[in-house]
Amino acid sequence: MTKYTPPVQGKFGQIVDVIVLLVMTIGALYVPLWMGLAGSAHTSSVPENPTWESLGQNPVMVEKWNQLGYADPASAAELITARFDYSFSVGSLLMMIIVIVGYYAIILRFSENEYREVISEKFGGK
Amino acid sequence: MTDFDITSKTIDGIGPHGAKIGLLRVLGPAHVWALGVGIVLVGEYMGWNFSVGKGGAFAALIACWFAGILYTCVAMIDSEVTSTVAAAGGQYTQAKHIVGPLMAFNVGLYLVFAYTMLEAANAITVGFLMDTVANMTGHEGLDQRPFIILAIMFLAWLNYRGVLATLTFSLVITAIAFSAIIILFLFTSPLLGSDVLQHQALMTDLPYGWLGVLAAMHFGLWYYLGIEGTTQAAEEVRSPARALPFGTLAGIMTLLIAATLTWYVCVGLMPWEYLGQAGVPLFDAARLSGSTFLMVLLGIGTLFATLASANGCINDASRAWFAMGRDHYLPSWFGAVHPKYRTPYRSIIFLVPIALVFALGAPLDQVITFSILSGLLEYTFMPINVIMFRKKWPLDTIKRGYEHPFHPIPAIVLLSLCGITYFAVFLGYGTQLVAMIAFYIVVSLWFHFRRYRFVRRAAQFTMPWPRPQGY
Amino acid sequence: MDIWNIMEYAAWALSAVFGLIIVADWLKTDSTYSDDVLLSSQEGELEAMTEEHKV
Repeated sequence: MTKYTPPVQGKFGQIVDVIVLLVMTIGALYVPLWMGLAGSAHTSSVPENPTWESLGQNPVMVEKWNQLGYADPASAAELITARFDYSFSVGSLLMMIIVIVGYYAIILRFSENEYREVISEKFGGK
Repeated sequence: MTDFDITSKTIDGIGPHGAKIGLLRVLGPAHVWALGVGIVLVGEYMGWNFSVGKGGAFAALIACWFAGILYTCVAMIDSEVTSTVAAAGGQYTQAKHIVGPLMAFNVGLYLVFAYTMLEAANAITVGFLMDTVANMTGHEGLDQRPFIILAIMFLAWLNYRGVLATLTFSLVITAIAFSAIIILFLFTSPLLGSDVLQHQALMTDLPYGWLGVLAAMHFGLWYYLGIEGTTQAAEEVRSPARALPFGTLAGIMTLLIAATLTWYVCVGLMPWEYLGQAGVPLFDAARLSGSTFLMVLLGIGTLFATLASANGCINDASRAWFAMGRDHYLPSWFGAVHPKYRTPYRSIIFLVPIALVFALGAPLDQVITFSILSGLLEYTFMPINVIMFRKKWPLDTIKRGYEHPFHPIPAIVLLSLCGITYFAVFLGYGTQLVAMIAFYIVVSLWFHFRRYRFVRRAAQFTMPWPRPQGY
Repeated sequence: MDIWNIMEYAAWALSAVFGLIIVADWLKTDSTYSDDVLLSSQEGELEAMTEEHKV
């Protein structure tokens, strides 16, 4: 196995690589945010004229809400009735599984090729 | 600041490969503990409670313990591998030696993003806490930005100035924050005769059923996220083979205790609907206990926990970034060590603006999710890593500082729990998950087809190990 | 103008000070030492010096 000599990267190339990485990183977080896809579905069904009883709160809970600064049922109603929506489709679940498994498969495969090259250069051919 | 060179004569500066400078070996097991627990403990002060919102109080406890099992596996596996691969970069360096370069590049990015996002989340919490205190004293509309920026700048400066001072600072404030949790538990529990806890009246059935328990695993990770960061200190610890396993395993035990106590106190004081959406739950718990002393103590505890965490995150993220620069996985410019302070100073500086962008511009739960996802991808890598490690270098081929028991059961358990957590994340943040993995796929292709040409092949394998079996 | 306003300004000022200290030292270091020295750190020195991992 011949020894691989990498090219030396100049200042300009280094800066370009850093900028490429930065754009990709910030994109990964902000694109879902901008597209409004982020966050889980959150619904609140506040009843009209809520009372502590209709919100299912017992006296101890009411006392705690009061201590926390929610003096009347109406102010706490939105917090109390907030629920996540956990419904999902089998299709999107399968999609996710394929994406995750596929991702690791690609990584492990490419890594293996690169690793064999490293080992044979380090320890010499068999 | 003391003269660092006193302790450094023996190892650094006279490296066998012609190294002129290196990181400084000054840390002991207590610093490793402080680094691990310091990063994580903030999870007890904020963030874990979102798991209550996801599935109710009981679901949060189940998630807490299952995540505890997950992290115990992580700690055991990590301790074994890292007691052998002791170099800055931690899991990145492990992946480079055991799985391969592309995996290593991905792991390095997981580390940097998990920690940088966690750092941003901490800074956001500092701002939120300041605002809460200002509100309590009657000042409305505090500008949180200067406090967020100050937290990041101060800790970056501390990290820049040297690792010993940085982690000693972490040790002190982590110990205070941990003690605050214990004191809160003692003063509110029946042990000292008070009966402020109202578990009977406040606990409800599972509001979402068992699906909620699965969903709670998402934020259940937050109780412990970052404990694996202890390995980043490997190149700065005096005896890594002993101190790293010890500090890591002591750390996970500390956290299991702290997490359970936190859950117990909080659900006994707040209705779960509030707790599940609270910003600073332990501080709220202290307010509800009715004691001014506890309130002040837990306020300080929250501040210290966030600072310790951000501090450890800057330390860990910069080590990982530095290690990748040193191997030319990233521009080699980042592989520089400060000649006087012996820190990877360029990496520290570079990550400051990134943390600021996310701390000032993104909502907290998004930032936390970004961090959790990067962590989760990393934990999925670990079982693959340790199985390959044992296969390529069986126990009798190289000396290990620590051998984890019952192999491969921890690896299999860890992989299964990761699967469950992926499902939990999918339930609420499926889009982010896919966006995130799309990002890693694109970045991997970029690395494989462009960046890898600048990497020396054999030179990146630095451990004095024999040829791996099967190659 | 109450204590919190003052603290806001103080936080801005301190942030700027820490930032300036870091940047000043960074520029000074980079111009004093050559990249040859700064980039010379090596991975795995401890292993190479102390243990050869022979069982």
